[in-house]
Parts: sequence; structure tokens; C-alpha cells
Amino acid sequence: MMISEVVERTGLKALNAADDADVAGVYISDMVSDIITAAQSGCILVTLQTHKSMIAAANLVDAGMVVIAHGKEPPADVVELADKAGIALFSTPDDTWSYALKLVDLGMR
Amino acid sequence: MNACSHLWTMADVRSGYLVVEGCYHCGARTSFFSDEAGVPVDEYKEGAHRWEYLSSAQAVSFNLRCTTCGRTVDLSDMAGLKLSTCEDPECGVGRLNREQGRGGSVYVALCVDSRHEGGRCVSDEGVAALSEYFNQRRRRKRIVVVPCKDCNDIDLCRGIVIADTGLTEF
Repeated sequence: MMISEVVERTGLKALNAADDADVAGVYISDMVSDIITAAQSGCILVTLQTHKSMIAAANLVDAGMVVIAHGKEPPADVVELADKAGIALFSTPDDTWSYALKLVDLGMR
Repeated sequence: MNACSHLWTMADVRSGYLVVEGCYHCGARTSFFSDEAGVPVDEYKEGAHRWEYLSSAQAVSFNLRCTTCGRTVDLSDMAGLKLSTCEDPECGVGRLNREQGRGGSVYVALCVDSRHEGGRCVSDEGVAALSEYFNQRRRRKRIVVVPCKDCNDIDLCRGIVIADTGLTEF
């Protein structure tokens, strides 16, 4: 599924401008030490974490896109880091669980 | 005999803490991974050093194992990984970082003892395996992994350490 489709069908707010790309799989975590050992390349990474280390971890594992839950938005330097890495960054007003259910409804497994 | 084109997977993954200690005698710093139930905070003597706890962060330790040939690369000499943001022209890592351009990234494999006594750092084999592992299924621009001894000064080389800081502060 393309990022643009996920954005439209789950009501995400774009935090930066990034290329559209195919994403597959979901990983939910707020700890970067967990993300680097378990998140898969191309996944939708759902998190509450807004620290720069989250972008460093997402880039390392080649996450397809990052969705920050609970309406949280990261500081400008985090968005800038995501821009440099080419990571599509989004925010959802949903809590993590509610957003996960939306992804399940989309057919994400 | 054909060499194996390794397909790496993480193995022996352990959750624990990245602990940083400082010597209040000479100012040296060292770090290590601990998988004990609680963060070790005791002061102790080691030769001329007087080590005391400085900080810790939740972290993971892992090795890399090839799913094709079974070879395991030991990464116990690695304390963590850091996304470099260094652009210092005097630093080898900074120069490499500037060369990558947009979308490119340099990650520094941090060894357990930044003093690099005896020239020790994360092994060449470990650095190569890390690079292969994180690039083998990558869709975006390739990342470059370097050992921390390539930094002009590890204390001044700017970057973002991948560790869960602040979650285990006393």
C-alpha cells in the first residue's frame, strides 16, 4: 500500500514533504532500543516518541513512514532530521491502539 | 569454494542498559552493556582508575548471524550506535558525512572503551557485518557504518546516540 493511501484512509496530518512509497507491515514502539531490533524495512512505525533518536532509529531500520500518535508533533529539528533522511513523518490525533485498529481495517497485518 | 553472501539476522538479543562510567582520578570514560536486573551504580577501583557511575540508558545488545551459513559475528565490543551529524572538516566521520548528501547517513558503531587503548574498537568484521545487515533489505539510500575510532574526537563528534535516555534516570 502506498503512503498516500494510508494518509488518506486513516486521516493523517503530514509533518513534512516526502516522496510517496510503498509501505508494508506495522511496528508499534516508543523505545528506540526496541525499534532497531524489531522494526522491519518499509514498515509503518507508530510511536509516541518525538525525540531525534526516534528518527535515527527509524532511518537505521529503513522504516517506510513514521506516525506519531495522540496528536503529538515533534520539534522543528526532529522534522528537519526526518527531511534529511527522507522519512515521511505524520501525526494522528488517535491514540496508538485506535490508530492500530484503523490500520487493521485497511488490511495491514 | 564460493564465499557465502551473508544474509544476516540479529541473534542473541538482550535487553539491558548502556552504562557510562567516569574515572574521577584521570577523567577517562568508559561504557558497557549490562543485562543485570538493576543498573550497576557501585564505585570501584580498577588499577589506577576510580570508576563511578555517570549515566545509563535502556539499550539492547545483539550479535549478527548469517541465516545461510550460520556464521556468527560477535558484537560484544559494541556499546551502541550513533547517527552522525558531524560536519567538521577536520574529522574523518564529518567529511564522510558531508559526502553522503541528502538521504545519506553515517552511523558510528560506538565501542565500549572510547580510550581505544591498544587500538581496540569495534572489530572490522563487526562494522562490515553491521553495514551489510542494515543495508541488505534497504529501500532508501545506503547507510555507511564506521567504527568510533574514525572520529577525530569521540567526545566532540556530534551525533544522536540510539538509546532510550531518561527512562531509567535515578
